[in-house]
Amino acid sequence: MEIKVLGISGSPHRHGNTETLLDSFLDGAKSAGAVVEKVVLKELSYTPCRGCNACHKNGECIVKDDAINLYEKILASDCLAVASPIYTMGITAEIKGFIDRQQYLWARKFILKTLYFSDVHIKRHKGIFISTAGLGWKNVFDGAFPVITALFNTTGFEYYDNVIANDMDRYGGINRHPTALKEAFEKGQKVVSILEKLGTS
Amino acid sequence: MPIRILAFAGSPRRHGNSETLLDWVLASMSEDQDVKIEKIPLTEADINPCRGCNACETLNKCIQRDGMDIYHDKIIEADCIILSSPIFCMGLAAQVKALVDRAQVFRSRKYVLKLPIVPPERKGKRLGIFLSTAGQTWDYVFDAAIPSVKCFYHVIDIKDADIRYLMINGVDEKGAIDHHPTAKADAIKLGKNTITELKKRLDL
Repeated sequence: MEIKVLGISGSPHRHGNTETLLDSFLDGAKSAGAVVEKVVLKELSYTPCRGCNACHKNGECIVKDDAINLYEKILASDCLAVASPIYTMGITAEIKGFIDRQQYLWARKFILKTLYFSDVHIKRHKGIFISTAGLGWKNVFDGAFPVITALFNTTGFEYYDNVIANDMDRYGGINRHPTALKEAFEKGQKVVSILEKLGTS
Repeated sequence: MPIRILAFAGSPRRHGNSETLLDWVLASMSEDQDVKIEKIPLTEADINPCRGCNACETLNKCIQRDGMDIYHDKIIEADCIILSSPIFCMGLAAQVKALVDRAQVFRSRKYVLKLPIVPPERKGKRLGIFLSTAGQTWDYVFDAAIPSVKCFYHVIDIKDADIRYLMINGVDEKGAIDHHPTAKADAIKLGKNTITELKKRLDL
């Protein structure tokens, strides 16, 4: 059985701390036999949500761009790893712009009731948040969690785990962090073996 | 010298709930003749997201040339900076997050280069106002946005005690805020109180 793992990198900065941590997670997933794909948001072309609420009527976004294609890809994945560095106590504007575009799926779920995820489906779809922050504060990720929760809830993923590392400024980057890359790799392996046991829906 | 108010209308939807809330605050402020208001809809502001290049840590300016060139100076000049945003997916609208992240140049100036943001005689005299609306009725719906808002104000030298908040949940469709029992009265009161406080601080 093939487990599809999709990684989304939301940093404007290529191959920085957060993307490196995501890569390690995806390497772990691949080593466990998953089919892995990484999408870099910076390379896509999409605009933030316009808040027009047109999707509340028919469940379709009036803006046709890469964001919609990526949501289709998310819905076809078994595991979703969403990666963003912390900027100003939240996720980046790029990934927030992408997440806000999920409104058409939210409308299908809660207004039109044409999209439904069973408890079994949600259990078999695992969402992981991957993040790094320059600051060492314990609460530095707190503003990001609810937004990531909203993404996983709307797309039918269980918010399974975080791979997060703060204090990057002090460590001098993710490669000097004592445990984060190893933890990411192991979590990538583990989630694939759990999904294999659960079986895909 | 007039009292200078700089207001960012952050919603991509023009004249929706968060902008209406802002307009009520601005209307009550504008009743005072000494007040000069500038309102910027972010849909027209041409502000790109931060690239995370950290060049501002050495250059003391952003390497991007866009609308922020103008708003950088206006943020320094204003006596009161108002930020309005709807809540999308439990956070600030992406357009507002882009503005907030571009304040990184002030963060570098203040904390890395240890340079002043405003001249010493204006320090501690400015106020910030965060206005927000959310469709959800949950009382915690604004919680994830607030840390980013605080950060934005801190780096432009407005401390926690100088930030005012008016956040209205349970308003979704356009115009819903018109039917809210207290929003308009609270917005008018906030506008008036802010001007009174600024006059005191500025010896006007």
